[in-house]
Amino acid sequence: MHESADRDDLPQATLVPRSRARVSVVWLIPLLAAVVAIGIAVHHVLNQGPSITIVFKAGSGIEAGKTFVKYKDVSIGQVTAVRLSPDYTKVEVTARIAKTAAGLMVEDARFWIVEPRVTLSGITGLGTLLSGNYIGFEAGASTRARRQYTGLEIAPVITGGQPGRQFRLKAENLSSLGIGSPVYYRRLQAGQVIAYTLAADGKAVELTIFVNAPYDQYVDRGARFWNASGIDVSMGAAGVEIRTESLAAMVAGGIAFETPGFAVQGVNADADTTFTLFGDRSMAMKEPNPSAVRYVIHFDETLRGLSVGAPVTLLGLPAGEVRAIGLDVDPKTAYVRGRVEIVTFPERLIARLSPTQAALARNTDRHALLQRLVEERGLRAQLRSGSLLTGQLFVALDYFEDAPKVKMNWNQDPPVLPAVPATVTELEGRITGILAKLDKLPYEAIGADATRALASLDTTLRDASATLKRVDADVTPELKTALEDIRRVLATADGLLKNGVTTTLAGFETTLEDLRRPLATADTVLKSANGTLVGRNAPLQHDLRDTLQEVSLAARSLRVFIDYLDRHPEALIRGKTEVKP
Amino acid sequence: MTATALTAAGAGLVSCEVCRLLSRPVAAEELGYCPRCGHALASRHHHSIQYTWALVVAAAIFYIPANVLPILTTSALGSSDSETIMGGVMLLYNTGSWELALIVLIASVMVPLGKLVALAWLLITVQRGSLGGLRDRTRLYRLVHLIGRWSMLDIFVVTFTVAIVQLQPLMSVEPAPGVLFFAAVVILTMMAADSFDPRLIWDSIATRGNRHA
Repeated sequence: MHESADRDDLPQATLVPRSRARVSVVWLIPLLAAVVAIGIAVHHVLNQGPSITIVFKAGSGIEAGKTFVKYKDVSIGQVTAVRLSPDYTKVEVTARIAKTAAGLMVEDARFWIVEPRVTLSGITGLGTLLSGNYIGFEAGASTRARRQYTGLEIAPVITGGQPGRQFRLKAENLSSLGIGSPVYYRRLQAGQVIAYTLAADGKAVELTIFVNAPYDQYVDRGARFWNASGIDVSMGAAGVEIRTESLAAMVAGGIAFETPGFAVQGVNADADTTFTLFGDRSMAMKEPNPSAVRYVIHFDETLRGLSVGAPVTLLGLPAGEVRAIGLDVDPKTAYVRGRVEIVTFPERLIARLSPTQAALARNTDRHALLQRLVEERGLRAQLRSGSLLTGQLFVALDYFEDAPKVKMNWNQDPPVLPAVPATVTELEGRITGILAKLDKLPYEAIGADATRALASLDTTLRDASATLKRVDADVTPELKTALEDIRRVLATADGLLKNGVTTTLAGFETTLEDLRRPLATADTVLKSANGTLVGRNAPLQHDLRDTLQEVSLAARSLRVFIDYLDRHPEALIRGKTEVKP
Repeated sequence: MTATALTAAGAGLVSCEVCRLLSRPVAAEELGYCPRCGHALASRHHHSIQYTWALVVAAAIFYIPANVLPILTTSALGSSDSETIMGGVMLLYNTGSWELALIVLIASVMVPLGKLVALAWLLITVQRGSLGGLRDRTRLYRLVHLIGRWSMLDIFVVTFTVAIVQLQPLMSVEPAPGVLFFAAVVILTMMAADSFDPRLIWDSIATRGNRHA
């Protein structure tokens, strides 16, 4: 056991378990975990786009982690922080943009807050009522990247890529227009108002409109734009005219455009051309007046009912319009009178001539022509009522042959056209008075009286007729015998004288002869008078009878008229209306 | 430290983990099977420390995405909202129910983290052969083991919510990737707690004792 004791002294080899040295398969689990976690992290970092900052005036409804940035209704990013700007006046919104949309963050990109907007022309952003506000985005055309933006106050109405063109309009005031107000072309909605600003001098409003693609080609250089808001009611001589573009335009306002027939057609206006926005269609579609000629007319009557823009007609055709209405003092009499300044457009009148005459008219001396018309034909200005209902006046140039002669004075500028007093304005007053009196008349009593009077007139005339007949029958034969007696006496006297004192009384005979002649004349006169006055078919009597019959008929129809008027007093104004069965 | 230093392993015996029958192993390298219940005998868990470490590390790695990524996506009336665990806690706190916030914070954030820390501490102390607080450490281990299964509660809540709240056009709740990582953390910590052999805690007495003897 010595050996074994020796062996016992030797150190014992130890067994190292194999498993302790070996790296266990279990470490694959944390390795896998690490790979997954790192994978997610890398994926996240790689997919993270740029972080941008947008400055808004107010952060209405913007919440960090909840508000999205949307482009074409697709989320391209999310707000990560909302805070006040260092000077506490604005809101800085930081948003993380998706990597796929990073290329969109260029210099002229635009951001705005989309919130529900209810206007008369429509409701937008309704979806935000449920989903909350979001930040709208509009891509730009630039290629230079940017990370700091200032948000728009109002959402742009037109988003990029929409085909069409922009135009500018200059208006006197905004009236009921606003952003989004429709632009109509032949009552189709062709575009909308996208912006408006006050002009730099504060004297006009500049609107920017966008006309969508198929319609923008109709915006010619000569296109006219007008405010189609509301209802355009015009009361002209032609009656009441009501125009409106659409119900929406009536309520919310709108703009319409059209190229008038006289303007250049087919030449497209360039984008950003500035047009004038007229108040209404008729103003917009008025022809331009290249050769307006001014005149002054003095009127002594009231100018009430005459307005600037009222038409001036020549023989009833539109020839111009009233430019200014005022007063001045007649230098001769020192009386105040009305002064109306008109402009006439000879071109418009020439346009109404036949082509050959038009060419001729262009070469005529217009001054000389007008002078001849005024001095020889009596061309005068007169105020006339366009409509009895509205009392609107216009200036008519017509011939008044019996007007007092006037000389044209071309030295004055503008030259004065002579005027004649209005007939219609006086008439109007008189008619009113007459109508009032007529209203008070006891028509029935008058009718009865008239009938009675006519009946008695009839009997009186019959009596007169009988009397005349009697005169014819009784007086005339006696008158004849009396005259024959006179002749016989005279003949006797003639015989006596011839026999007795023929020679001595020759002179006397001639004298008697002279006497007989007038008597004979008297005889014929009386005879013809007899025939005229009292003969059975004497013309006087016949005429008288006819006349009386006419009077009788007239009286009857007057009665009918008065009866009708009594039943239909309105016929005085409206005229006789057909009574429908 | 008054406990007896004699362990089954020290005496060359092995106790069955299932039926607790004390038997003599076949050989030191090959312990054999339990003669009563037939379970493979092991004096200590195989590679207990290494396995536990691996699982704890994996769980710790997954703990990060579980908390960073959202666990739920709620869509209500067109707006969708993704919430992380901490986000939910903050939401509850901000809406005034701080008690609920505290419960969620403890159950879903502190407990998984606590389990990981506890396991890591147990592993380190075992590896260093620390002799302090053996009984406390064993108690801690029992606690970790006990609450392990309850940590799956979060996953159940998410599953039930997703299944129930499906009012399609109006409102819906969808699970988000975070919940998968959270489940992985819970499962991995449970496995780690399982693979850790608490007997190792007490082994240090023997090793230390031997070394000092």
